[in-house]
Amino acid sequence: MAALLEVENLRKAFGGLVAVNDLSLAVAAGEVLGLIGPNGSGKTTLLNLIAGTIRPDAGKIRMAGEDVTRLANHLRVRRRINRTFQLVRAPPNMPAIGTVMAAVLYGAGERVRFKDAGYEAAGWLGEMNVLTKADRRFDQLTYIEQKRVELARALATRPRVLLLDEWLSGLSPSELEGGMSVVWSLAAQGIAVILVEHVMTAVRALCHRVIVMNAGAKVAEGRPDAVLRDPEVIRAYLGDEDA
Amino acid sequence: MAASAEDRRRRRTRTAAAIGALVALVAVLATVPLLTSDYQLSFMVNVMSYLVLTIAWALFSGTTRLVSLATSAFFGIGMYTVAMSIKILPLYASFALAIVVGAAVALVVGVLTLRLSGMFFVIFSFGLSEMIRELMVWWEINQTHTMGRYVYVPFDTTMIYEHLLGLAVVVFLVGWLLRRSRLGIALLVIGEDETVARQVGINVPFTKVAIFIVSAMFMTLTGALMAPRFSFINPNFAFNPLVSFVVVIMALLGGLQKLWAPVLGVIPLIILSERLQTQFPFWYSVLLGLVFMVIVYFLPRGVTGLLEDIWKALGRPLALPRGFTGPLLDAWAWLSRPIFLPRGLAGIIEERWLKIMPRANEKR
Ligand SMILES: Nc1ncnc2c1ncn2[C@@H]1O[C@H](COP(=O)(O)OP(=O)(O)OP(=O)(O)O)[C@@H](O)[C@H]1O
Ligand SMILES: [Mg+2]
Repeated sequence: MAALLEVENLRKAFGGLVAVNDLSLAVAAGEVLGLIGPNGSGKTTLLNLIAGTIRPDAGKIRMAGEDVTRLANHLRVRRRINRTFQLVRAPPNMPAIGTVMAAVLYGAGERVRFKDAGYEAAGWLGEMNVLTKADRRFDQLTYIEQKRVELARALATRPRVLLLDEWLSGLSPSELEGGMSVVWSLAAQGIAVILVEHVMTAVRALCHRVIVMNAGAKVAEGRPDAVLRDPEVIRAYLGDEDA
Repeated sequence: MAASAEDRRRRRTRTAAAIGALVALVAVLATVPLLTSDYQLSFMVNVMSYLVLTIAWALFSGTTRLVSLATSAFFGIGMYTVAMSIKILPLYASFALAIVVGAAVALVVGVLTLRLSGMFFVIFSFGLSEMIRELMVWWEINQTHTMGRYVYVPFDTTMIYEHLLGLAVVVFLVGWLLRRSRLGIALLVIGEDETVARQVGINVPFTKVAIFIVSAMFMTLTGALMAPRFSFINPNFAFNPLVSFVVVIMALLGGLQKLWAPVLGVIPLIILSERLQTQFPFWYSVLLGLVFMVIVYFLPRGVTGLLEDIWKALGRPLALPRGFTGPLLDAWAWLSRPIFLPRGLAGIIEERWLKIMPRANEKR
């Protein structure tokens, strides 16, 4: 499989703390790449770097062959990279459909007429099963609804690479099942998904490949069943658990 | 389907009725100079000019939630550009020149202030206006050796009024269209959460500067149109900082939710300030200040609720019951966040903590 997104020797330090250390990865269209590791191992920072929320100190990010390392956040959106946030982010005083409309109008690439943007946004909310909540403010939504609205917002920009930061965490078992089938169908549509997740059932069931991070560096990579048996991975996780 | 066709027809009728009513209103307003006394006309000129300024202010500040005190700077640029160029240019050419100068200054200021947020923007915009005023005073005294400019043009109060009325219609239309446009939604998202704005593909800096320029152009043109009303103009008069504050109070009093809401703030405040000015000319500024404080501190529940909503909308919890110290502390917190301590005290503590944490991990 040819890689759609390639990350080469990426590095980011906050003061003395190296949050992402010389990390490389590649993900292909339709592939679900799991990204796991203990708290503070740099997963979110890595997603921030790929999405363009922050800039790397060194390394390269290539999207469909194009170097996007220096590109601004909103331009990477238009290069079809999008993400959800670990702590759901949304304008608090806007109806849920508002940001999705903005995403349709600004992120989707082709010019959409203002009048049609509402319908298209409604379509994305419908796809995520939250259309009935379109007019609610964000704080009037349940946690799972917020997550679904946020994903609708990301999808409305028609991403080819989608970065999901613990999008499946904090869900009840039945919600988790629904969430997993959503992720599955995204990959089936040919979206390259990078899935940051602590929920191991989801990682095992969804990921074609898993990368394990610890203290900013990649410590293991491979098929989920093999990687999750790796003693070093187990050590990293146990070290985290009694912290 | 029948219902939706009916709905559409009803909506169309309502829109037509609203447009008809507005056209009628504008037509009535246009005949004001024929029917009123000089005093009433000059009152209406005040109303129109502040209405344009307030709506223009709301175009930028109501959407991006950056409170601008640069209104007097652009108003003054408009007025003073006309005052300086009137001897060499035809009147309309000097209006046009004023708009160009205003837009250029707005572009430079917009680009410079892009990274400022919260209180920093407020202070910077105020400082900028004062700087321009001082600069013009210095220029006139030391370079041109004048105390001010005489403006004698055949552009009477009626003409000023009719032009301001036209400008009010335009700024109203722009505001109306903005709410139904791509740009308007982008501004709303930016006002609420810039990170989300970037993540949906909005070019945040560009959008902010664009709306700042549009807003500034209306303010500048208002100042330019007002210039012929005064025969003698000096920089201290043109760049009167009170204008900036009055506009903010008018907008807050009227509200920002509805496009026409500023009307509710403009008219009472103009009536009030004219009363104060005629009855207590020497204490005018002080009394106006007191009125502001009364509005902010003591108005009954209803308006307090409105103010609370606005403050919440502005994204800053300004807890008034805590007296002066509360807002001061808050102000200091806002001040210190973006520049002196990039992540605030919490950031420093967190960093310290992170320095300790890895070691704790290594031990195990
Ligand atoms: N803006 C920042 N400034 C300073 N330090 C930061 C910043 N962002 C992240 N860090 C630090 O970088 C390290 C990596 O954080 P990151 O959020 O990427 O971890 P994570 O793997 O996503 O953790 P979790 O599983 O808890 O979400 C942490 O120690 C974090 O405190
Ligand atoms: Mg994280």
